[in-house]
Amino acid sequence: MAAASVIGRGTLIRGNVSGDAALDVQGRVQGDVTMQGDVSVGDEARIDGKLTGAQVSIAGTVVGNVRGSEAVLVEPGARVVGDLSAPRIGVAEGALVRGNVRTDGEPELEVARRPAAAVRRPMPARAPVAAARPQPVAHKPAVAPVEAVARAPVPKPAPEPPKVEVASVSEPHLEAPKPVENKPAAPAPVVPVLNRNIRGKKKKAHRS
Amino acid sequence: MAGTLIGEELTIEGEITSDEEVTVDGTLRGTLTTVDNVSIGPSGVVEADIRAGSLVVAGQVTGNVTASDRIDLQAGGRLIGDVKASRLTIADGASFKGNVDMEL
Repeated sequence: MAAASVIGRGTLIRGNVSGDAALDVQGRVQGDVTMQGDVSVGDEARIDGKLTGAQVSIAGTVVGNVRGSEAVLVEPGARVVGDLSAPRIGVAEGALVRGNVRTDGEPELEVARRPAAAVRRPMPARAPVAAARPQPVAHKPAVAPVEAVARAPVPKPAPEPPKVEVASVSEPHLEAPKPVENKPAAPAPVVPVLNRNIRGKKKKAHRS
Repeated sequence: MAGTLIGEELTIEGEITSDEEVTVDGTLRGTLTTVDNVSIGPSGVVEADIRAGSLVVAGQVTGNVTASDRIDLQAGGRLIGDVKASRLTIADGASFKGNVDMEL
C-alpha cells in the first residue's frame, strides 16, 4: 500500500515535515515529523527529531520521542533512542530501544519509596550505641570531625571540641534522624575508634 | 515509484537534498536541491530556490530555479523568480515573472 507521501532513500530533509495523511520515510529527516496519518520508517531510514503519527511503525533509526495516537510498533532491527508513547506499544524481539515506554491510560505506579524509608529507620538506632565511640575519636583529628557529625546525638563532648572546625559539633543538638542525613560525608567505620577513655566517656554518654 | 513524493497534504519547511527524483504536490518552504528531475504538480506550492537536473512546473513556484538540463513551465504553472537553464519552454497559459539566463 503506497503511502500518500514518500521520502525516498536518497533524500535528506533538514527541517520539519507535517501533514494530514500517511508518510513513508525511507530517507533521512533531521527535524520533527508530525503526521495525522500513519508513519512508517524504513529499515535504512533515520529520523533525528520527534516523530508523531497515528500508527507509527519503525524499522529504522529514530532519535527522538515517538508518539502514536493509535499505536507505536518497533520492528526487529529498529533502533529507537527516545520515549515511546501510545495507547498500544509493541517492541519486537531484536529491536533496540532506549527511553521511557509509556502506554496511555496507565495510572502512576507507586513503588520503591517505602523500602528506602524503611532502610533509614535503623540508622538512628545505631547512633546511640556508637555514640560512645566517637568521643575518643575526637583525639584523632582526621576521623573525628566526621564521626562527630555522624554519631551526633551523644557527643556533647564540650570538652572535646578543640575540633571546633567541626561545625558539626553544633549539630549534635539535633538528635536522632537528622545527623544521619549529615552523614553522607562520613566514611562511617566505627571500628578504628576503640581506645582509651571509652568507658569514662560512656558514662557521660548515658547521662546525655 | 522510486524517488521522493511530497503529497498534496504534506508540508515541509526546510531544506531538501536528494539524489533522486522529487515530485512535489504539496507545500515546500525552504530549498530543494537534487541531481535528478523535479516535478511540481498542479497542487504544489513551493517557496524555495530549486536546483535540479531538470524541472517541470505545473504548480506555483516562488524562488530562483536552476536546472542543469531543462526547465518546462506548463500551462497553469506559475513561476516567480529567475530561471537558469540551457533549455527552457514556457507553455501558453503559464505565468512567469523573472529573468531568464540560458547560458550555463
